[in-house]
Amino acid sequence: MSITPGMHSDVSILRAWLELLWLSIRRQARMRQMVWIALGLLFLAVLAVGLVTLFGSWTLADRRVRMPPGRTQPATQGASSVATTAKKSTEAPPKQSNPSPSASPIPLRPRRLTYQETIDVSQVLMLLGDRGGPVQAAVSGSLRVALVKSSFLIFSRWIVFAIFQSFLLPLLTLSFATDALGAERENRTLTWLFTRPLPKPAIYFAKYLAALPWCLSLNLFGFVAICLAGGEPGVLALRLFWPAVACGTLAYAALFHLIAALFRRPAVVGLVYSFFFEMLVGDLPGDLKRMSLSYYIRSLMFDATASMGLSSDQLTVYNPVDGWMALAVLAGAVATFTFIGMIVFSRTEYREDV
Amino acid sequence: MKLAAEQSTTADAAPQTRQPVLLFEQVSKWYGSVIGVNQVTLELRGGITGLVGANGAGKSTLLRLATGHLRPDVGRVSVCGREAWNWRARRLVGYCPDVDVFFEEMSGFQFVEAMARLCGFSRRDARLRSEAVIEQVGMSGRCDRCIRGYSKGMRQRIKLAQALLHDPALLVLDEPLSGIDPIGRQDFLELFLALAEQGKCLLVSSHELEELEKLTDHVAIMSRGRIAVVGTLRQIRDLLDHHPMSIRIDALQPRIVASRLLEMNDVVGLDLGNSPSNTLDVGTIVIRARNPRSFFRDFGRLVIEEGIEVRRLEMLDASAQKILGYLLGGNR
Repeated sequence: MSITPGMHSDVSILRAWLELLWLSIRRQARMRQMVWIALGLLFLAVLAVGLVTLFGSWTLADRRVRMPPGRTQPATQGASSVATTAKKSTEAPPKQSNPSPSASPIPLRPRRLTYQETIDVSQVLMLLGDRGGPVQAAVSGSLRVALVKSSFLIFSRWIVFAIFQSFLLPLLTLSFATDALGAERENRTLTWLFTRPLPKPAIYFAKYLAALPWCLSLNLFGFVAICLAGGEPGVLALRLFWPAVACGTLAYAALFHLIAALFRRPAVVGLVYSFFFEMLVGDLPGDLKRMSLSYYIRSLMFDATASMGLSSDQLTVYNPVDGWMALAVLAGAVATFTFIGMIVFSRTEYREDV
Repeated sequence: MKLAAEQSTTADAAPQTRQPVLLFEQVSKWYGSVIGVNQVTLELRGGITGLVGANGAGKSTLLRLATGHLRPDVGRVSVCGREAWNWRARRLVGYCPDVDVFFEEMSGFQFVEAMARLCGFSRRDARLRSEAVIEQVGMSGRCDRCIRGYSKGMRQRIKLAQALLHDPALLVLDEPLSGIDPIGRQDFLELFLALAEQGKCLLVSSHELEELEKLTDHVAIMSRGRIAVVGTLRQIRDLLDHHPMSIRIDALQPRIVASRLLEMNDVVGLDLGNSPSNTLDVGTIVIRARNPRSFFRDFGRLVIEEGIEVRRLEMLDASAQKILGYLLGGNR
């Protein structure tokens, strides 16, 4: 066949756009430096969580009870020895490095009990016929329930919120999302897309959609890995929080894709934004946090835990918005960032090779 | 010297069409405070036009404005009546950029086919067109390897192939002969001429002026962001009548001939080579004459009247290279 002037062919813009989408998805598969860095950090996080699960505990059972200054622990009033006895009865005898206060000539500061010890002491006191038994029983019972839930709270607070949602989620997302346009700009291959008869906004949108399967896969894989490494509380967190992770991924991907259209070094700008805005501002009291995506992702997560009867202060979300509101804001952010990005991209001249 | 900077001339062999294929109307483009192209007006209707100029003269900016990669700050660039910045105009433009980058993980054929699919052709049509253009650029049977292993010449051929895929009316070729071996150059030149005969409009940027002269005598010369002159090499030479031209004359009795030449009004300078001791030997004189037409007329008369025996007469700077040197003020 030879191409002759005026030769007519069946040309379709939609077909061209779908081809661009498919081509972009395939080209996104290349693992670049940022993806390896993100995967390395994810591996370290999973390893750390796995070690805590293996050797420690996520519950408050072994944490010491905090009391207000000037007050002593109710259960320790003359009952430290009882606590020690109770502990002895359930566990292997601890090393008795410190003698009891009564045996020592020097008055020692009484040791603060752990939450588990507090419950044990309460039970022993009840058995000894302590007055106020029903009240003690009620306190003991609610404390026991709180302890069961505490593992989930601790896992959510430190692993899901502090590590995954604040740090890993933006990092994993930007590793692919900034690459969709950033790599084409850096390699100067964007020229080839601009030589094709495709509207620039369509190129931008195709690139965004092409980044999503990789961002979602990486984030959900990371979240599953980190939650499974966390044991029982992790499984519960996974069941409750994965929709928020998915929504957060879409929003962060739209934001980092826009950054890639605006800046020549999108990964650096994205990292600076993540660390100095999302991590800090998103966790501050006041209204400034409403500017961050992380606040709405946390609100979604908080909303998902409502069925467990947890209050806001337990999940360190300050004044969270309603779940539907958070979802609407995140969806609006996706639409707004994408729309702005399409306009910016269609008006910008990319002069990397000029 | 005042050059017709905005004069637009169509190549002699170019077929005339109702509207220009490529039209620049008072186009200016700035990069911050630096001007890329300055009030350029250019009209191309067909045939091959060479674009020459020193580095930084604005050639690449002009080509990118023509392909819609850049948008003019002032003025308008249109391709067959459509604004070049509009994506629809890209259906009419084939662009062979000078950047040497590809989707390196692909083979040559995969790359060209992907480019065809991005034009919106069906799978079957894209394959057929890819095979056709690859054959056209002489890459048949050689494009199944990964592009990253290609030589410079093979990469140039693939770049040209993708530009031909959609049968564009305007072909913008930025240094297409760069890195091509002599046989390949000849193939390319023949291909360009064939495309021009098919009615396509080719705008070819090149530093290889000797090669460009083989391709076309219609050139646009850029200097400091402006089209200094556009037209055939002869037309440009005529515009330069007031600029001294170097002419070599080998003649007997060179001293006597030189003294006669110095008496002529148009001769502004003269170099006398090693004068032979024997009057029967030939000597070389290089003169600089201001107005070539009147000089040659007067010189012919002088030769007949004085019986001067001229063994050789050569214009030393009629080539595009020399013309460019004049126009660019010795930058090249």
